Amino acid sequence: MELLPQALMDGILLGGIYITIAIAFSLTYGVMHIIDFAVGEWIMFGAFAGFYLNKWTGLDPFLLLPVVFVIFGLIGCLIQPVIHRVLSGSKGNPLLMGLVFTFGLGLMFQGLAMTVFGFYSNSTPSMFSEGSFFFEKFGFSLTISTVRLAGLIYALAITMALHYLLKKTNFGLGVRALALNKDSAGLMGVNGKRTGALVYGLYVGVTAMTGVLIGCILSVSAGMGPQYTIFAFFVVVLAGMGYLAGVPWAALLLGMVQSIFLIYFDPGHTLLAVFAILYTILLISPKGLFGRGV
Amino acid sequence: MKRSLLFTLSLITTLMLATTVFAEEARNFFKVGVVIELSGDLATGGNVTKRGYDLWAQEVNAKGGIDIKGKKYQVKLFYADAQSNPSSGASAAERLITQEHVDFILGPYSSGVTMAVAPVVEKYKIPMITGSAESPLIWTNKFVYTFGTVPPVNFSGATPINTLASLNPAPKTAVILGSNDTFSKATAEAFKAAAEHAKIKVLKFNIVPAGQDLTPLLSAVRGLKPDLIAFGGHDEELIKMVKSLRQIDYTPKALLMHYGVTEPAFVNALGKDANQVFGASVWTANAKTSSKILWPNAASYAAASMKAFNTPADYTQAGSSAAGIAFQVALQKIGATPGMSEAQRTSLVKALEQVDIDTFYGKVKFATSGQYYHANVGMTPLTVQIQDGKTVIVGPANIKDAAPQYPMKAWKGR
Amino acid sequence: MKDKIIRWGLPVLFVLIAMPAVIHDTFFLRVVTEAVMWIGLAIAFDVLAGYTGYLNFGHGAFFGLGAYTTALLMMKAGWPFALALPMGGVMAAVAALIAGFPTLRLKGAYFAIATWALSRAVQQLALIMDITGGPDGMRLPPFLNPQFFYYLMLAIVAATFALLWYLLEHSPFGLKLKAIREDEQGAMALGLNPTKLKMQAFILSAVPTGILGGVYAYWITFIDPASTLGDLISDQALVMVVFGGMGTLIGPVIGAILIFAFKTLFWAYLSDFQLLYLIILGAVIALSVVFMPNGLWGTLGGFKKKKRDHENKLETSLEARLQKNEGE
Repeated sequence: MELLPQALMDGILLGGIYITIAIAFSLTYGVMHIIDFAVGEWIMFGAFAGFYLNKWTGLDPFLLLPVVFVIFGLIGCLIQPVIHRVLSGSKGNPLLMGLVFTFGLGLMFQGLAMTVFGFYSNSTPSMFSEGSFFFEKFGFSLTISTVRLAGLIYALAITMALHYLLKKTNFGLGVRALALNKDSAGLMGVNGKRTGALVYGLYVGVTAMTGVLIGCILSVSAGMGPQYTIFAFFVVVLAGMGYLAGVPWAALLLGMVQSIFLIYFDPGHTLLAVFAILYTILLISPKGLFGRGV
Repeated sequence: MKRSLLFTLSLITTLMLATTVFAEEARNFFKVGVVIELSGDLATGGNVTKRGYDLWAQEVNAKGGIDIKGKKYQVKLFYADAQSNPSSGASAAERLITQEHVDFILGPYSSGVTMAVAPVVEKYKIPMITGSAESPLIWTNKFVYTFGTVPPVNFSGATPINTLASLNPAPKTAVILGSNDTFSKATAEAFKAAAEHAKIKVLKFNIVPAGQDLTPLLSAVRGLKPDLIAFGGHDEELIKMVKSLRQIDYTPKALLMHYGVTEPAFVNALGKDANQVFGASVWTANAKTSSKILWPNAASYAAASMKAFNTPADYTQAGSSAAGIAFQVALQKIGATPGMSEAQRTSLVKALEQVDIDTFYGKVKFATSGQYYHANVGMTPLTVQIQDGKTVIVGPANIKDAAPQYPMKAWKGR
Repeated sequence: MKDKIIRWGLPVLFVLIAMPAVIHDTFFLRVVTEAVMWIGLAIAFDVLAGYTGYLNFGHGAFFGLGAYTTALLMMKAGWPFALALPMGGVMAAVAALIAGFPTLRLKGAYFAIATWALSRAVQQLALIMDITGGPDGMRLPPFLNPQFFYYLMLAIVAATFALLWYLLEHSPFGLKLKAIREDEQGAMALGLNPTKLKMQAFILSAVPTGILGGVYAYWITFIDPASTLGDLISDQALVMVVFGGMGTLIGPVIGAILIFAFKTLFWAYLSDFQLLYLIILGAVIALSVVFMPNGLWGTLGGFKKKKRDHENKLETSLEARLQKNEGE
């Protein structure tokens, strides 16, 4: 029992990482209806960007987040028109086309990263990575790693920012209109192309920033992408595709399941449990936890 | 009907063209097949192995070649990528044997690929030495044509535990974790057996999914306050492990991992946090070896590696170079020249079984029976520790370079 | 149509059967054997993805299931290969039956991700169970007769192709599946039973895959969760199908041959540039989706699609007009 607060805390902190992996991804799906297989590779590139920028400038990776966001945001905006073309092609199954296209992109990115960055694992140092908070009261003890807490705060900040952007700005209104009905939104004066490019840029930028954080909390390597792609997919599907408000809860659930399993059950069964639970939830509620997915 | 006839004919011609067999001309060099993981999940290790084989070939050729009865024969490496996949490994071996007609094979990095390649070399009776695969399972299968220069993990894993058990005060309790892949699992099991044998109480033993973030588990481990945490895993997992321990701020008296700590990436990524981590190895750049073949000692090999690749050598790379040396010695013994017959290859296996040589890597001597059949059992396993960013031999007591730093200094205030 | 397949299919089959008698190169035979295996995996994948419109990321799980069933029966129960192999197919059918019933209710991306999760769970199960050898995998007794495996693989894949050709192109079944792909509600309104049809398609896709897995296990002599239950099988089958042309039988065959040939040639003769290989393969996939959304066969062939093309043209022109409006 004395481990329970720790288990919950660890689950929340782990969930925080998953929120950041998945939230922008979900937004993109909502607007563009693309399942981006390369999401993990954006994380990988972001992680390397953080690693090298930190090495060259000596600045803390947390301070570098805006720089990474701008760089990758631009890249995203530039790539989006190609993806748009794929999705609006004449073939009946654009979902699949987008999936295969980004799968190809992902392979390319992996090959590029291995050529440029080599095979070894790295780690990005940060001023937060050293410390931790420690509480002990009533026989309970709780450790909170500073860098993970910073990650969680970042995740919540991004969630709030996206929420604000979508609900309180004209741009957000356009995005929501576009997600609801592409054609009508166009008729109402929403510039679909530009909005789409901005949303995709936003997604790539946020995902790359997440990569920087993952580099601080976990590790950086050219082969790190696919494992995060899996978790991004799972969180987004669990939340309901494109249902943004579901993402934090789904991410926390995923983190919590892992944490509880690692601590209370056979740790070897953790991933089995994660996949089995995801599958079961989908069977019970085919449109995600809240039944609100598109 | 005419069109389809044409189609058939063209298909046949294509097939014939595709398999034009080039006549095998007499050659004055050894064709050495190299089956390794150049791409895929295991490319990191595959490339380390490749460097080992490359360095051996470079050095042999720089000396004029392998001296067989007074005539020198160069060696030429032919690579085939196993793509980190057993079936590609089997195809790779078959291609090298049937298309390139290699004389012998230097084997894969991973145990899984080795297991799929071994039956193929068995079929064609081509001897193979792997410089890296170290799962105990390969050797219990008793493949006649497969050898290995790196001792299996259950042979090398006990040494660091014994070193730790001899310290004062010795660790009394341990938590042992292993990632769920062949190598890491076998490592964790070897650690566990050795710990129990050394009367260290194992509080927790878990095999965990590969790649999983272990922080919650380590939070639970912290509650047990073990003196020793031992972990079997690969490079990236080891880095994450140390970072997790630091993040939850738990410093055990000793933290033990396997050879991964000797990889340059471990120290590069972790900096001062890598210090005082223990590891198991059979070779380091400062191992005390002496040899008459190619490199006189470990230090000169390390220097040669620095010169050739600008990368420090680790024990996988060294073991891979030693695999080449073992072939070289066995070839000299039977006096075989390139383009060996089947009878010669069979006698090459016999010669390999009798190999008992001192190399820069240590003693190479393959077991000829028992659970280590054809694995190298000539080595002395070492306990190593990272001290000030350098890999230092701290055990066994009779050959150590420095005293083990123990207990471990807390993460904070390093 | 029937005439065409006989005119083109029989010569190909004849050449394939006669080949080992002419060519004795075992490596070449091995490569062709594997190519034939991939053709089988790709056409089986296309039954669900191309004809029915359900993207099954758990395709590889059936392959692994067949491989493990065959291996376990041979090694632990001492069955002969001839009996163990069909059981691989039976197990795949049973698994498809059990998994298909709840999973096929899901649509689109949800189905894709659910099957992926399920296949991952199966892989984890194989990793932690003792009987499967966990991460160490299983070794089978080597039976190194290249001709045997070539003919076995060829027989299975040719039979699968013939069966699928009959069912999908020459019987109402194929049209019914396509009706589900185009509009499931509409299909139901026409009096079709989508649940039953999807189930049949799922089993039809799973059984050959499971049997091929069994052959693979005995052929390679070593299986482990990473190589037989990983994402490789599903991913590669998907790429082959999309590259060749979805919803056709010839398309996946062409896709499988070309992708596999590219892979093998690059692998065999340009080993030093393995990383370039990833980049090129990725680029080829991405570009082919952009420029040949109907796959190679669909783009080059362009047969029998006039009607649909016409509809598409209408749609695109409408869309173009809309977009023009947006721009202004």
